[in-house]
Amino acid sequence: MIVPRLYAALLHLLPRRFRNRFGREMTDVFAELHREAGTRALAREVPPLLALAARERLAGCRAALRARRMRPYSAAVAAASPAPAAPRVQHPSRDPRMLDPLRQDVRYALRSLLRAPGFAVVAVLTLALGIGANTAIFSVVHGVLLQPLGLPGETQLVAIGEGRTDGPLTTLNATSPGSFGDIASQTTSLAGVAAFTGVGLTVTGRGEPETLQGVSFAGELFAVLGTRPMLGRVPVAEEQVEGANPVIVLSYPTWRRMFGNDRTVIGKTITGNGTARTIVGVMPEGFRFPSGSAEFWTPQRWSPAFRVNRDQYYLTLVGRLAPGTSIERARADLVTVSGRLARDYATYNTNLRLNAVPLRDMVVSNVRTRLYILMGAVAFVLLITCANLGNLLLARGVMRRREIAVRQALGANRTRLARQLMTESLVLSLVGGAVGLLVGKLFMAMLLAQQTLVLPRRDEIGLHPAVLLFAFGVSIVAGLAFGVIPALQLSGGRSSDALREGSRGSGGQQWARTALVVSELALSLMLLAGAGLLLRSFAMLTRVDPGFRSERLLTFGITLRRQTPTTLTEMSDRLAALPGVRTVAAVSQLPATGRGGGAWFNILERPTPPNQTPPGEIYRVITPPYFETIGLPLLRGRLLTRDDRLDGMHAVVVNAALAKKYWPDGDPIGKEIYLGAPDNRLFDHGTIVGIVGDTKDGGLDADALPIVYGTNGLMPWWSSYSFVIRTSGDPTQLAAAVRREMRAIDPALAIQNLQSMDAVLRDQVAPARWSMTLLGVFAGIAVTMAALGVFGVLSFLVTQRTKELGIRLALGAEPGRLRRMVLAQGLGLAALGIAIGVGGALALTRLMASLLFGVTPSDPATFVAVSLLLITIAAVASYIPARRATQVDPLTALRSD
Amino acid sequence: VPPTHPTPLTTPVFQILLSLIDQDLHGYALIQDIRDRTAGEVSLTASTLYAAVARLLESGWIEELDERPRPDEDDARRRYYRLTRPGREAARAEARRLERLTAMARDKKLLPALHPTKGAR
Repeated sequence: MIVPRLYAALLHLLPRRFRNRFGREMTDVFAELHREAGTRALAREVPPLLALAARERLAGCRAALRARRMRPYSAAVAAASPAPAAPRVQHPSRDPRMLDPLRQDVRYALRSLLRAPGFAVVAVLTLALGIGANTAIFSVVHGVLLQPLGLPGETQLVAIGEGRTDGPLTTLNATSPGSFGDIASQTTSLAGVAAFTGVGLTVTGRGEPETLQGVSFAGELFAVLGTRPMLGRVPVAEEQVEGANPVIVLSYPTWRRMFGNDRTVIGKTITGNGTARTIVGVMPEGFRFPSGSAEFWTPQRWSPAFRVNRDQYYLTLVGRLAPGTSIERARADLVTVSGRLARDYATYNTNLRLNAVPLRDMVVSNVRTRLYILMGAVAFVLLITCANLGNLLLARGVMRRREIAVRQALGANRTRLARQLMTESLVLSLVGGAVGLLVGKLFMAMLLAQQTLVLPRRDEIGLHPAVLLFAFGVSIVAGLAFGVIPALQLSGGRSSDALREGSRGSGGQQWARTALVVSELALSLMLLAGAGLLLRSFAMLTRVDPGFRSERLLTFGITLRRQTPTTLTEMSDRLAALPGVRTVAAVSQLPATGRGGGAWFNILERPTPPNQTPPGEIYRVITPPYFETIGLPLLRGRLLTRDDRLDGMHAVVVNAALAKKYWPDGDPIGKEIYLGAPDNRLFDHGTIVGIVGDTKDGGLDADALPIVYGTNGLMPWWSSYSFVIRTSGDPTQLAAAVRREMRAIDPALAIQNLQSMDAVLRDQVAPARWSMTLLGVFAGIAVTMAALGVFGVLSFLVTQRTKELGIRLALGAEPGRLRRMVLAQGLGLAALGIAIGVGGALALTRLMASLLFGVTPSDPATFVAVSLLLITIAAVASYIPARRATQVDPLTALRSD
Repeated sequence: VPPTHPTPLTTPVFQILLSLIDQDLHGYALIQDIRDRTAGEVSLTASTLYAAVARLLESGWIEELDERPRPDEDDARRRYYRLTRPGREAARAEARRLERLTAMARDKKLLPALHPTKGAR
């Protein structure tokens, strides 16, 4: 499907009139041809299409010029003038048609470009590539980082959370209902505060059960965000108390998908997680909070006791600054509240500090560095594009020396000529920018095709007016940048020299060309170094041992219903009976997929001193044989069994990281622990019976996190699980059978994310893969352009020295030596470019340290490798001109010029 | 455009005219017909086809059909093209030009002489 669409996009190269008339037919015909020949059809299509586009556009320009010449005034002049006398030579300023010098310049520029279509096409395509890459990345940056969240007065919105006083200020952890109440009532700098947390809701009774992802909130969330529903109303305070009728607000897309456009949906109910919920409102299209994936919002219904709970940390807060208040005032307020909390509830709030950050920063914090680095990379690509074009224009300038000299001799002054040349560059760059938008659209499709990439607000990315403006601005800047070179060149040299010298360049030019190529090489090296470092990081990342055997594991998630007829154990047993299944277990959170649930970690024999809070650690609820199923090795002691339940021995297992953290020298086996607050424990106490290996739950690039494992027998209230199924063959082959069996067990259970564990791990490295691929593509473009630059300069030098080389050959110089001479020149340029590039790269790669894993920003191996690569490419690019140097026929050479 | 034109026609233009002599065809059918007739020697792409079609329409050598010749096996979006009288003349003129050229080649014995019966057409 992509190829025909690509062809349809390419048709935009054609003038609108042609496209309107034949575009659809051409697309249809191409679709047939594509069906016959596949992708080859596109390859065959492109050259004639370009030729057609060029011819049609040229014809259009000619027609326009002709029409202009036939304007009434000139027609009248033509009619009034007697029989064709001697051709009239008009001084430009006296030509009544050319009163406007800018128009005249533009027209002249168009004409001179049309006279050299080859040059124009190469220049426009080069520019299109550079501007297109910039437009694509900018549209992502714009969509993700710059474009407002779409909420009114969003600069006044802050996210509030807590961190430990000894931790970094930027950490914003979840907070408890009690603290939320205090923050809401004790801060004057905030006009409103609301709390929310992400929840899943399995909807049944409407065909296939499905799980919606949404938000459960407390407080006046919609008032704080400043939005109204499109239909109905938002939940009121009375609906936020225990025992109230459960209500729900749907997102626009969810409403459309589930109810069509039914505006009478208000007051109807849907069954979510087994409870009927009344739909009270539908939010407008474009309302996304906290992200575009939120499908509903439902109020939490707290009991008076829970309202002051201080040990359930699961709420993220969003607040609106009071009018005229700065975020600093809010922070100061929060410090005061923190102090009061620490004093009043020392058990819970000692060492805790509340802080606020702009909401937007929280939404995009993860991808910001990546995007800025890519933005920098495409800026480099654009610089290289400009250098390349500068070179092209210099070469063209040489060809046009005579033309310019003649115009100078006829009285055109330098300013006028320089402006003329600048206009040409600008016309080129604007055309390049227009084609670049097309290229940018293609790039963007590529960028967003990566479905696994978690890009916040990806649905807001597109060619917005701001992006178009950006592309336009970039085109102008690029045009000025590469146009200034040939214009400057005018200021040197006498016109009479040019008339005499023929079309050979002068020394000053050569210097400029060399400098441009060296800078291209240097910039390419920097990009290559960046891409190389990301490549190595990625390779290291994929080689990280996740701590368990991820192959031949099938996983899926479920949320247990309260009234589910089948227990987790029974489900496991039935799945395990399927042919091809070895063992089955369930876990509260899959390994290597993030922190997940955490609680205070208490060791019975080391009571926490008063005025201090115990450390928090993460825990997992599992069903045996979880460790055996995922292949997590037992290091000491024993594993958990189905007998480790509330009514049996209270046994837990910890991982090596936890053992090392709390018993660096001692033995944790036999020690007793509990999770939670002293008066609100997840389980009364548990004895550590075994130590298992670590999994990389905080990310493959992070150190292993300490984890406590307990069975679902010990923590029976836990309800959302991921199954892990060890298969004897390809796990995806079993997906259908597993789905069937689960349906047979409980048709009301929604199966989420049924996929192989390897696919889960792949998703984890998707962002790294994304940046690596993009930077690789950009580096590839850069190197190609640099190679073209080297090739161009050397070819030019060889052409210039044809006479000299011919004489040398005639006098008996060895061809091999001449070849080596030219090659050496090319390699000299490359060496200089690489030296400068390595210096620049060393300075710049430090900025991407946070994206690297397992390599330092100045990794010598990478730097050596990319330098060698660039030298090789430069050598190849030099070889053709070098060979040509020795194929000079002495006679022709002597006669040339 | 004069009925006898001095300049040779391009391959796509001539082949399209030939295909339309005895039938009205739409774009893809033109490509297929030309390919079949020339045993694959001339295989137009969408761009070459419509570059030629645009010029042929402009010169008035072909025209777009309002009615659909085969409504039963037809895709409503397809447009059919028909040869006009000047188009037929132009094709004939081109054929004559080619004939004159091959005659010259025969005179020079580059090609064998034609059998009188075969050349009667």
